[in-house]
Amino acid sequence: MIKRKLTLIMENKPGALVRVVGLFHQRGYNIESLHVDPVVDFTPYKFIENELETKFKDNEISRLTIQTLVSDSLMRQILRQLNKLIDVIAVSNEETTYLKGVLLDENLL
Amino acid sequence: MSTKLKLSGADMLMRALHDEGVDLIFGYPGGAALHIYDALFRQDKIEHILVRHEQGATHAADGYARATGKPGVVLVTSGPGATNAITGIATAFMDSIPMVVISGQVASHLIGTDAFQETDMIGISRPVVKHSYCVFDANEIPKIVKEAFHVATTGRPGPVVIDIPKDMTAPDNLFEYEYPKKVNIRSYNPPVEPDINQIERAVTELLIANRPVIYAGGGAIASNAEEELFRLNEILDAPVTNTLMGLGIYPATHHRFLGMLGMHGTYQANMAMHNADLIIAIGARFDDRITNNPSKFSPGAKIIHLDVDHSSVSKIIEANIAVFGQVKNSLSAIIKLLETKLDQYNKDKLQPWHEQIKNWKSTHGLNYELYKNESDENPILPQAVVQHVYNITEGKAYVTSDVGQHQMFAAQYYHFDEPRKWINSGSMGTMGFGLPAAMGVKFAFPNEEVLCITGEGSIQMCIQELSTCLQYNLPIKIININNEALGMVKQWQDMNYGGRHSQSTYQNSLPDFVKLAESYGHVGIKVEKNSELKPALEKAFSMKDRLVFVDVYVDPAEHVYPMLIANHSLEDMWLSKDKKT
Repeated sequence: MIKRKLTLIMENKPGALVRVVGLFHQRGYNIESLHVDPVVDFTPYKFIENELETKFKDNEISRLTIQTLVSDSLMRQILRQLNKLIDVIAVSNEETTYLKGVLLDENLL
Repeated sequence: MSTKLKLSGADMLMRALHDEGVDLIFGYPGGAALHIYDALFRQDKIEHILVRHEQGATHAADGYARATGKPGVVLVTSGPGATNAITGIATAFMDSIPMVVISGQVASHLIGTDAFQETDMIGISRPVVKHSYCVFDANEIPKIVKEAFHVATTGRPGPVVIDIPKDMTAPDNLFEYEYPKKVNIRSYNPPVEPDINQIERAVTELLIANRPVIYAGGGAIASNAEEELFRLNEILDAPVTNTLMGLGIYPATHHRFLGMLGMHGTYQANMAMHNADLIIAIGARFDDRITNNPSKFSPGAKIIHLDVDHSSVSKIIEANIAVFGQVKNSLSAIIKLLETKLDQYNKDKLQPWHEQIKNWKSTHGLNYELYKNESDENPILPQAVVQHVYNITEGKAYVTSDVGQHQMFAAQYYHFDEPRKWINSGSMGTMGFGLPAAMGVKFAFPNEEVLCITGEGSIQMCIQELSTCLQYNLPIKIININNEALGMVKQWQDMNYGGRHSQSTYQNSLPDFVKLAESYGHVGIKVEKNSELKPALEKAFSMKDRLVFVDVYVDPAEHVYPMLIANHSLEDMWLSKDKKT
């Protein structure tokens, strides 16, 4: 078990956070720390805007960071489960990023 | 001046459902849903089916969805209405069935005050829905309905809940109505077309395999991939097995069909999976009832896994080649590439493999003609009941089932040649599913034979729906395989708990099902002897316009075999009470 950091970009909507947290709780993964803020500077996420052909507006999306203790195989499963949540736009760990179903080989968030 | 239609939230909801193509909903009214029910009353496009319990509404909508491929729609009130719907929502979720559930909620200003019939439906349903919406602004009702149906039916399908506080549907607040033509959920983008590199890798493996098995599940049905699967195997000529959820996607009477695999799968299906050198998994997810001990699963096989859901692949069994996309599209891509390489493929090389399978089948395959040895000296065999039903309906009926031994007997002995005709709660294993699901199927296909193979335990969990069947005149045939016990529980107790039948028998407290059926206005027939069985079933199926409840007393000692031996490989099975592989 290694401590890992996950970063998510998701819709800033009621219920979105609890879906993410619920997914950890439901599978028995403990969350060591969690931080969430609305995104104000969209510059680092231009590539998402381009990829999804969208334009983010103020207060529309949140950036969430989670630290958790999990094994390698569980890590991949967690990423895929998070990616499946409708309100999650992108999710990454240290090595990979899921941008709405497309797996990219680096941490872009 | 705007020319747009102005409607209340409740009227917008009805209009939106109609614009979405919904013509049938299953539900039960109550306080928080009364504005919606009034809007329902004032329109004539959508028919509402009044069930007797909200669980029945969800199962009926689920059965409708499984049989038609269209989403089932449910309308319930807040509090107990919502919580009663949960079991049915979870059932649909676990089997990936498209469904939209609309629940009334207390008025916005009362939320969080422990108001009458208030419950946090979004919270309670969260782990068992694909997504959910709470309406905070009535203006958004059309958009939310559009999105809900889109999410429920695309990608890996599933149930979606829309929770609507009562004030959002108030009759005196009017809004401009327009139904969105398109959906754009930027954060939702399920895969459709496969990656061509993965298709090339898959085809390379298919061409060189000597012991391939095609393993197809419910995802292939959800994707309507029966023609593609059939075409693929016209080329490959490989043995095919289906999961419990996949039965019918490949014709069961085809000579390459191995039968169901897994816990109660056929000997030849499990043996073939264990000894394969290539498994192509199509919309199946290596559930624990399929793999037995994953570390001993099919040691020599490469795995090609076709699925629409990223999180289903390499979850239990690592895939060598993962193909993400609608499995129908992935299969088409594989077929297209295979067809250019037919000169590199010789089906004759599979002959030793087919010989091996034939050998397995002839040594320990199921006996599909048990009914031929019937006599009144012996108790009725539950397997033979299913065989008679299969013969009488010529294998053409829609068959729903409940959960337990009868479900496994139905899956083993009713040969499904078409998809969407076998309707059962596979993953969730929900007792009480069969009768309401049969109602949903009958509403969808009123001219087709619809029957429910159930047991005396399961049927009592939603027996109240016999009243709904009378109200709407649904001539379903109910085959109650009555062993006077919770048969599957009892079987496990026999095998693993020294025969201690803890709480699995009813101590002579069963109702008279014939009188029960009659009291609901239906026909009841009791069968206790082998000589009565076939004539009674023939009589039941000859009554085309009546619901007939056939209560068949079967051998209470009978077990379901084969049965995988826990924590072992797929080769290790009980074949009868005293014989294992």
